Amino acid sequence: MLELFAIPLVKIVVLIGALMTVTAYLVLLERKMAAWVQDRRGPDRVGVPLTKIRLFGLGQPLADGLKFLFKEEFTPRHVEPLLYTLAPVVTLASALAIYAVIPMGDTLPLKIGASGANLSMVVAPGCDVGLLYIFALSSIAVYGVILGGWASNDKYSFLGGLRTSAQMVAYELPLGLGILGVVLVSGSLDLGKIIHQQADSGLWFAFTQPLGLVVFVVAAFAEAARLPFDLPECEQELVGGYHTEYSGMRLITFLIAEFMHMVTVSFLIVILFFGGWHFWGLTGSGPVESWGQGILRIGVLMAKVFGVILFFMMVRWSWPRFRFDQLMSLAWKVMLPQGLLNLALMAVLCEPFIAERIGSRHWGVFLLISWAVALLAWLVTALVQPSGPENSPQRVEPSI
Amino acid sequence: MRTDDPSIRWIEEPSLGLSGRMFLPLFVQGLTTTARHLFSPKVTVSFPEERPKVDNPLIYRGVHRLNRDAEGRVKCVACFLCATACPAHCIDIVGTESPWPDREKYPASFTIDELRCIYCGMCEEACPVDAIELTSLLDLTGRSREEMIFDKEKLLSVYDQTKDTEPMPSARLGGTL
Amino acid sequence: MALIFVASCRMCLVESGRKDPQTGKVTMLPKLVPACQTPATDGTVFITDSDKVRQSRAMVEEDLLIDHPIDCPICDKAGECRLQDYHFQHGQRERRADIRPFTSRRRPLGDTVTLFVDRCVMCSRCVRFTREITGTNELYVTGRGSAEEIDVLPGFPLENRMSGNVVDLCPVGALGDKDFLYRQRVWFMKSHNGVCAGCSTGCSVNVDVNQDHVYRLRPRENPHVNQWWMCDEGRYGFHHVHSPNRLAGPHRREQEAFVPADWTKLPAELDAKLRAAGRVAGVFSPHMTVEAAYLWATYLRDVDPQARLVLGPVPVEGEDEQFKNGFTIRAEKCPNRRGVEEVIAHFAGRVEAMAELLADSELSLGAIWFGGGYKHDWIDTDTAERLAAAAPLLIVQDLFDSPLMQRATYQLPAAAFAERDGSYVNHADRLQSFAWAIRPPLGVREEASLAWLLLGRRGLFQSREVLDEIAREIMFFHAAAGGVPDVGVDLKVNRLAAEPIEQTARTV
Repeated sequence: MLELFAIPLVKIVVLIGALMTVTAYLVLLERKMAAWVQDRRGPDRVGVPLTKIRLFGLGQPLADGLKFLFKEEFTPRHVEPLLYTLAPVVTLASALAIYAVIPMGDTLPLKIGASGANLSMVVAPGCDVGLLYIFALSSIAVYGVILGGWASNDKYSFLGGLRTSAQMVAYELPLGLGILGVVLVSGSLDLGKIIHQQADSGLWFAFTQPLGLVVFVVAAFAEAARLPFDLPECEQELVGGYHTEYSGMRLITFLIAEFMHMVTVSFLIVILFFGGWHFWGLTGSGPVESWGQGILRIGVLMAKVFGVILFFMMVRWSWPRFRFDQLMSLAWKVMLPQGLLNLALMAVLCEPFIAERIGSRHWGVFLLISWAVALLAWLVTALVQPSGPENSPQRVEPSI
Repeated sequence: MRTDDPSIRWIEEPSLGLSGRMFLPLFVQGLTTTARHLFSPKVTVSFPEERPKVDNPLIYRGVHRLNRDAEGRVKCVACFLCATACPAHCIDIVGTESPWPDREKYPASFTIDELRCIYCGMCEEACPVDAIELTSLLDLTGRSREEMIFDKEKLLSVYDQTKDTEPMPSARLGGTL
Repeated sequence: MALIFVASCRMCLVESGRKDPQTGKVTMLPKLVPACQTPATDGTVFITDSDKVRQSRAMVEEDLLIDHPIDCPICDKAGECRLQDYHFQHGQRERRADIRPFTSRRRPLGDTVTLFVDRCVMCSRCVRFTREITGTNELYVTGRGSAEEIDVLPGFPLENRMSGNVVDLCPVGALGDKDFLYRQRVWFMKSHNGVCAGCSTGCSVNVDVNQDHVYRLRPRENPHVNQWWMCDEGRYGFHHVHSPNRLAGPHRREQEAFVPADWTKLPAELDAKLRAAGRVAGVFSPHMTVEAAYLWATYLRDVDPQARLVLGPVPVEGEDEQFKNGFTIRAEKCPNRRGVEEVIAHFAGRVEAMAELLADSELSLGAIWFGGGYKHDWIDTDTAERLAAAAPLLIVQDLFDSPLMQRATYQLPAAAFAERDGSYVNHADRLQSFAWAIRPPLGVREEASLAWLLLGRRGLFQSREVLDEIAREIMFFHAAAGGVPDVGVDLKVNRLAAEPIEQTARTV
């Protein structure tokens, strides 16, 4: 009983609490980063409430949350009330539920229950279909968007919802293809096993599958609706998007979910391609033996994830947004073929190099081939350049 | 505009080189720029603690003042030129016959809605007697809209407050009054 | 006839010459001649835009400005000043004469006009006006050469009843209207065509307004009515429009006290009360527009087919005063007696005067409606008492409080002349239409638009539409069909054949 219910429950509570707090502070970090990149200082006023202590603006997330909490939760008359309320819930629920299979580290040597095993840092440890579960839930997130746009019963929301769902559906394909290479090589859908595989060989998949990494990262940006693919909510050019009609807590639910998507894909990038909690000569690769080792593995994972999140935030201010047709042509004409190529390459190389027949002695050859193919594929794509349709104004010779 | 209009100057879009087509070098370039700015000195002025630097208070466009002449009377002759020039229509003047023999007309009331004002300085430009000026006072606050509608006395008091730090340029420029 | 030409300002100097009819040779005069005073005959040649002419104009303009103070910013004429315009056209880049003080000497010429001595360019228009138009001769030119000044003789100020016109005549800002002086800059104001409601002459005027405030009235040229002039009484007679004593908002009597009523519900309430009242009488003020009178008469006859339609008291003060040029200030101090009379006559067959109503010893009615409003006191307490006793329902729409208003069941505020849309018919049966120049104050509803509502017509009150209807219905107004020009239409044109020659002859 303890193992079945109590421990997961404690894990869930701790996880959700930590996630929400971290998300709030990541929003603050995002704002700070935005300010720093633009040579500003960012929010630095809000500190301890009711005092003049400022704490570099660390009270800002609290203030933001309170602001949303006290805002009028306005329901326009023309919406479909049930779906309108359901949409943000669906989005947030699916975003949170993904964390059930994401490892927050390896294990801790804390023996609870009859099995005497270490305490796993996953809510649902040993989930064999972890990746499938993640994909299923991230597809459900699209429903939240569609419902939000549709139930708002407003053309802007509707178009925003269409736009978003089109983008999400399009990029789910390269996302899957990027992962398939990893799955093929590691032979498992369990995220914990994928990490262990990388730790054992010491060769992260980022090095062995550069093409897969690029495809996955680009698709991850698009799935998380981050710049340069944030068409779902490009406030400047198009009206807000699917959440135009939302306000107050419902709006912030959408926004948190969206932000959490970014954290999720950061975790996935680290786990699938950057060895998870593994770091050479620091964490070891076997089972956890001491508290120090367990905590170190958590720390390494978190540091990596933080690094990826910082990268996300930097990219936001480095690149302008794609146009929608460019976005689509990138998905279908660039990412899809490259993902397929990566899959095929892994399928070919998997047998002779990975399946312990040739062994790790020839990993140099393996690396060489995969990097050469990746570069070649990238070069060919660049030369063929299947960009968006030519729609710039064309010169017309003046008629006489 | 029609595309065959002869006045259009057509520019060919420069074609991307291989590095541009490869995306990645440009991507790194963008990231480098962002990273450089991440650590470059910040320009934000933390306002209440830190005052913004006013380079030349004589040309700064802050709160208005109504200047006084040598005898301490309001300089304004109620010509309405500032009200005419004002793009925000924030100046309201009631002109009347002046009580002084050397002047025909003076403002019985002169109000500026500081909330409506866009601080463009056109009133200062328009004034033929250098009576209205924009000072370098920049932290204008109030608790009500009524409080932000400055009448003649208040505008004159702004002059009394700032006349030492910001002398009227008219004497130097050879003003007419 | 306007003023005679004296060619005093010399701004219109042109080259002139003669063409020999035999040889075709043109001989030019060496000297420039003033265009305003030089008659063109057969064979005369004029050159109006040569270098010589332009140079001469620039010189004349500079000369006019030698004594002129540079005080355009505080001069009330700025913006409509001819001299200012000429300066922009011909002015030198710099003033070669000494820069004189910013101010101009000034002295009052009378109760209405102030003279700014240094601004004067000695065109003598004002002097000619008092000699030729009013014939009162108050103004004269004193001094000689550069010391010339306009002045009045001591003890004989400018106080004729048309004195305000000299301000309009003055091409520069030398003559200031005391009523308008320093009040508003001319470029802020919009001019609306209006008709003066001061007397039955019905002068065409420009109503100069800014932000729903009338600042001045100026005569508008109308050769059939007032030529270029208007009297002071009319010119300064608009102040009642902005009087703080004007009634604001409708009121209903409830147990000896008046409580505010709501315009949105009032028309239905009035309609119900009037229809339940039985015999109804309507008293039409001669200040009403033709359209309002017609709509109200239609409505009252609809409520009670036997409704008594009465012409309200016609205010008369003193005698008609005629000036030297024929301009007449009428004693009848209302703009539209003729129009209201004709409307009443159309509905009732004859015009019943207020006196007849009062003379009726057994006066007993269900309701009396008073409309149109008066500028001044128009009813005494006894009359008001008697009328109030005669009818239980008394609806009074007026501008100001009066003994009758105190006894009313419903107090309705009326619109002033500048707030109305409609037409007036003057003493000589000339109909002039005008549109509103300012919006009525909050809570005030124009008589015509109230009647429009009571009649259940659709949309907003359209004076033009109503006038077309009147022109169709009433023979007298037939000439007004199909549009009224700015100078108005003479309603008598239709009756030329029907009337004796000697009566029609004086109408031109």
